Amino acid sequence: MGIVIAVISGKGGVGKTTATANLGLGIALNGKKCVVVDFDIGQRNLDMILGLENRVVYDMVQVMDGEANLKQALIKSKVNSNLHFLAASQTKDKSVLDSKKVEKLISDLKEEFDFVLLDSPAGIESGFEHTIEFADAAIIIVNPEVSSIRDADRAIGILDSKSAKVKNGEEVLKWLVINRIVADMVESGEMLRSEDILEILDIKLIGKIPEDKGVIDASNQGKPVILDKKSIAGQAYARIAARLCGQKVDMKNVEISDAGLFKKIAGIFK
Amino acid sequence: MQSNQYSVKVFETTITDETEFKEFFEVNYTLFKDHLILIKGEMSDDIKKYLQDKKLQYLQNINLPKGRSRKALEKEFQILEAEAAINKQIAEAELKKLSNKLQNNLTVLDDRVRSGHELNIDGDLLLLNRVNSGATINTTGNLIITQVVEGAIRCHGNFMMLTASPKANIVFHDVEVDNSLLEDRLNRVELKNNEIIITPVLKKEINWAL
Repeated sequence: MGIVIAVISGKGGVGKTTATANLGLGIALNGKKCVVVDFDIGQRNLDMILGLENRVVYDMVQVMDGEANLKQALIKSKVNSNLHFLAASQTKDKSVLDSKKVEKLISDLKEEFDFVLLDSPAGIESGFEHTIEFADAAIIIVNPEVSSIRDADRAIGILDSKSAKVKNGEEVLKWLVINRIVADMVESGEMLRSEDILEILDIKLIGKIPEDKGVIDASNQGKPVILDKKSIAGQAYARIAARLCGQKVDMKNVEISDAGLFKKIAGIFK
Repeated sequence: MQSNQYSVKVFETTITDETEFKEFFEVNYTLFKDHLILIKGEMSDDIKKYLQDKKLQYLQNINLPKGRSRKALEKEFQILEAEAAINKQIAEAELKKLSNKLQNNLTVLDDRVRSGHELNIDGDLLLLNRVNSGATINTTGNLIITQVVEGAIRCHGNFMMLTASPKANIVFHDVEVDNSLLEDRLNRVELKNNEIIITPVLKKEINWAL
């Protein structure tokens, strides 16, 4: 049985899809079987960032409706055979999702893969709720700015009240990724410090990603930035992926210890 | 101190005709010899001498305290008792009202109030966690928040104690409180004689330069 991780942010444009693609690939590079699922029905992007847009034949909605089976719809990555992708439907909208169908799809994926990464749509509407409903954990992506923090705060609130795990009295693991940090701006006080963000959100930090111009080009070319060993953002994604796989990687410029977190993730795969 | 208490019979009169007065006492001497004679108005030396000769005790123009009838005393006692009972009831009601104000359905919470959450509390609230930007808290009673408030507060109690960030929106009895007055570590906001009074409870921590 794998772990289902929803990648959420509340606000749009903070880097959810980029993070999902890079972390999925990073996990696969660590030798774990991983599937990334685009839950942004009607606005699919993940296929492009992974460089798989020309390979999409069947999508998630067709699998849920029984028009295609899961094996047919899963697309294997060209870069790493451990990484698979399940596309969102581009023609339908979020209203086609249904709790029971989502639960079935996710439990099927859990059987097959070590990691199931769900790329959530922006906002807090039904598409978002379906993404978090059956997740075991959530990665919350924020940018160091107030609007992103407030929207993430709202998303965490909904996660804590609507997730199936919470309803069963269990806890949903929550990990924070601070994306697009510009060190100079943090030093000059123009950008929020990670201590301030953690103070507000009160969840565990799993990584900080610096701003890197290479990310846009990498996305445009369909080659996730994690493949670029020289990219600082790519290195940061690699560290987070390694942490998700249970390795102890020192935090760069980070003062929060998350030793307990590694044990938790490692425990899932025993 | 040793003392005795006794009642005395008093014969009170005014002298208009001295002869008539003397005649009256001649006739009724036995009846009034143990009375205290109280003369209202003027009396001549002749009358004084007469009374002294007869060994009658007398006083002139003095207001003696008059005893009242048992019935009248009982009635007054009943009124006092009723008044005392009413006063007691009023005092009890006041005390209850006061204790209601001091503690009224106290809710204690240690939840982070996140953006989009709205807490509606009927009574008092003690919150041991943060109120994030975009969250709202309404209380009918008093409010104490031990961590920073960045969200919106609507308090209708007697007092509230909190620290507000400049982002917060604090309303106390429908009056918006200026955040710059709430920057200290903990501030007490209360309503006294229709005036909102703000007093810092804990001062801002000072970061000493090393």
